[in-house]
Amino acid sequence: MKTTVLLLIGLALAAPAAAQDPPSLAIRPFVMATEQSFAAIDTFGAVFGKTYFPFFGGGVQVVVHDRFFAELTASRFRQTGERAYRSGGQVFKLGIPLTATITPFEITGGYRFHLGRMERVRPYVAAGFGSYSYQETSTFADAGDNVDTRHSGLVVNGGAEFRLQRWVSLAADVQYSHVPGILGQGGISQQAGETDLGGVAARFKLVIGR
Amino acid sequence: MGGFRARTLCATIVVAGGLVLSLRGQTGDDSRLVIQEHLGLPGIDEGLSQELSHTPSSAETRKRVAALQSLLQDRVGPTGTHYRAGRVIVRFRDESAMVDRRAAVRAASGTGEIADRPSYADFDVVRIDVNEDAEAAASVLRQRPEVQYAQVAHRVHTMMVPNDPLYLTQQWNMPLINIEKAWDIQPQAGSAITVAVIDTGMAYANATITATLPAFRDENGILYPALGKVTIPYSAASQLVSATGASRIVAPHDFVNETSTPFDFDGHGTHVSGTIGQLTNDGIGTAGVAFNVKLMPVKVLASEWDLLFAGFTNTSNTGGSDDDVARGIRYAADNGAKILNMSLGSEGPPNCATNPNQADCSPVIEAAMRYAVGKGCFIVVAGGNGFEDNVPPYGTNPTSIVAEIASRIPGAVSVAAIDRAKAHAYYSSSGSYIELSAPGGSERGFGSDGFIRQQTFDFNFTDTFLSSPAQFVAPRFDVFAYVGYIGTSMAAPHVAGVAAMLMQQGVTDPAVIEQILENTAVDLGTPGRDNTFGFGLVDARAALRGLGLAK
Repeated sequence: MKTTVLLLIGLALAAPAAAQDPPSLAIRPFVMATEQSFAAIDTFGAVFGKTYFPFFGGGVQVVVHDRFFAELTASRFRQTGERAYRSGGQVFKLGIPLTATITPFEITGGYRFHLGRMERVRPYVAAGFGSYSYQETSTFADAGDNVDTRHSGLVVNGGAEFRLQRWVSLAADVQYSHVPGILGQGGISQQAGETDLGGVAARFKLVIGR
Repeated sequence: MGGFRARTLCATIVVAGGLVLSLRGQTGDDSRLVIQEHLGLPGIDEGLSQELSHTPSSAETRKRVAALQSLLQDRVGPTGTHYRAGRVIVRFRDESAMVDRRAAVRAASGTGEIADRPSYADFDVVRIDVNEDAEAAASVLRQRPEVQYAQVAHRVHTMMVPNDPLYLTQQWNMPLINIEKAWDIQPQAGSAITVAVIDTGMAYANATITATLPAFRDENGILYPALGKVTIPYSAASQLVSATGASRIVAPHDFVNETSTPFDFDGHGTHVSGTIGQLTNDGIGTAGVAFNVKLMPVKVLASEWDLLFAGFTNTSNTGGSDDDVARGIRYAADNGAKILNMSLGSEGPPNCATNPNQADCSPVIEAAMRYAVGKGCFIVVAGGNGFEDNVPPYGTNPTSIVAEIASRIPGAVSVAAIDRAKAHAYYSSSGSYIELSAPGGSERGFGSDGFIRQQTFDFNFTDTFLSSPAQFVAPRFDVFAYVGYIGTSMAAPHVAGVAAMLMQQGVTDPAVIEQILENTAVDLGTPGRDNTFGFGLVDARAALRGLGLAK
């Protein structure tokens, strides 16, 4: 892991760096914090008491001619709530701890816009797909009661990157993800008729590289 | 055996002392029944009952049923149902004036009078001459515009097939509902919840009873001699109320005798209470489902001894009909019970849902059940034992009226019985009103291994009216054994116990409790809900564990 990070930083630093011109190929690592509002509001609301949660992660971007880019991100959500029942808008929590862990790996490709004289700002849009690992564990579980599965989903996002310094940028975007196949097969999500593990996320990335 | 004799001697001394106190305190008192609560010795626990002679079709069982029918002196309606003479239950419309109500009563009966409204009732009782036809009077009243409903006071009976069998060392019924893992989830097992046992009463306290027993004739006309004034020892079932656990008994009440001492003189209510909350993990006897619940004994069913103790001075005053049940339900709801177990019922037409104001329906019980559920109570009703019974004019497998009512109320469930092999118990009524299943036991194919066992009275000491007149003696209610019963009466308290634990776990809405129990039940028989098993066998662990996000 350490080697990979150093390699990524090295690659970023090694990118062509002519005075003010962006390099034709830049490989840029980043760290990311996300606040996601889950689409399955009844499900998450019943178990955790709220429907928006942070993800933390990071990734790497490959930017070509400062316009086209591909991005690989990995992040993680982990939250403990209570097993519950939900009926007619009422939620009955049962005091039995439940921990859910979501680990998305997402690959997107996109385009960065140039805004004339606003050289520090790069609006961008991107779309792609992800692979979502989902684990659900709780106390008093028998063999087969816990969930450990992985499904794929789609993402689209759009935002802007602000260059803070020559090698450091801050990006903010909004991402929509759609992740079917995990929720809706059982549990409260089935009761609530919710099948999407995705949602809308506000993402903040600290990008290293030009 | 020596210990038994010693205890008997001690009991005799204490009872004799109690008798002296009783006589001192009640000189000139002609009361037929005097209960001196908390004056008496602890009960004698005989352990496993070795009695095997009683099966559902045994001579003893038939005689017990016949004796009760004979003692009750009920009227039998045109449809064959039994009801109490001398009374009609009437719910007048709120807007009707008293003068119109009286006119309606006069039109129905020359002797009819509206009695003072009993406690815990939203209905009135019209007293008529005991020789009048109550069903005819009710029929006239039903046609009156002032009347919302009118019905005779149907005799309600327990939903069990009693047995006095050998008690074996295993309670097959408990693992069948997955209770051990539910206890892991909730070791406190319902300690914050009060369960009302609306039944024949409960052996919840020690007492000394003084009664005057009259002569009576059994169903064959054989005369049994008067025993005069007798002193009867009565003890709490040690596995319901331990020496330190008396506080688990909440607001006891007797609607049969209109007292606050609902002592069980039958054994049924004590057995049902044991399945709900028998003391557990104490190294003695059997286990109960929600073994820490508080218990509210609400007596609404009369036994043979209730009738004999009452001395037949006015059999229409000796309770045990559906107006008593209705009052018992309301009483339980008003006094803090959250789960109501009703191992009782009666038979009637299948269409009470569309026309409740007809003969053999029980609108008075339905109104009380809706009232209780509206106050947050979850109600469990035995599904009925009539699968093989032919009850004219309703035929074989007649509709169990109270269970049918439960099926129409979100927050009340009717419970069928299964046997040890999770198959339909031969007696368990079936129909569209069956919602859940639980172990009720069966001797067919299993013998005594198929019973549901809990601590209750040793019938050899209580059912002395089954003996010949020469051997007839006063009963004693201080000798207990682990006795086997079967019936949907035994199935219902399993569900009541699980419901109590579920409520303690945090689910407080009766309708949601029903939904959960049905959704988590283990499907039996035809896939999906069916008329034999309902939604299936109650699963305590699945119900208590609840749902996650994805599973």
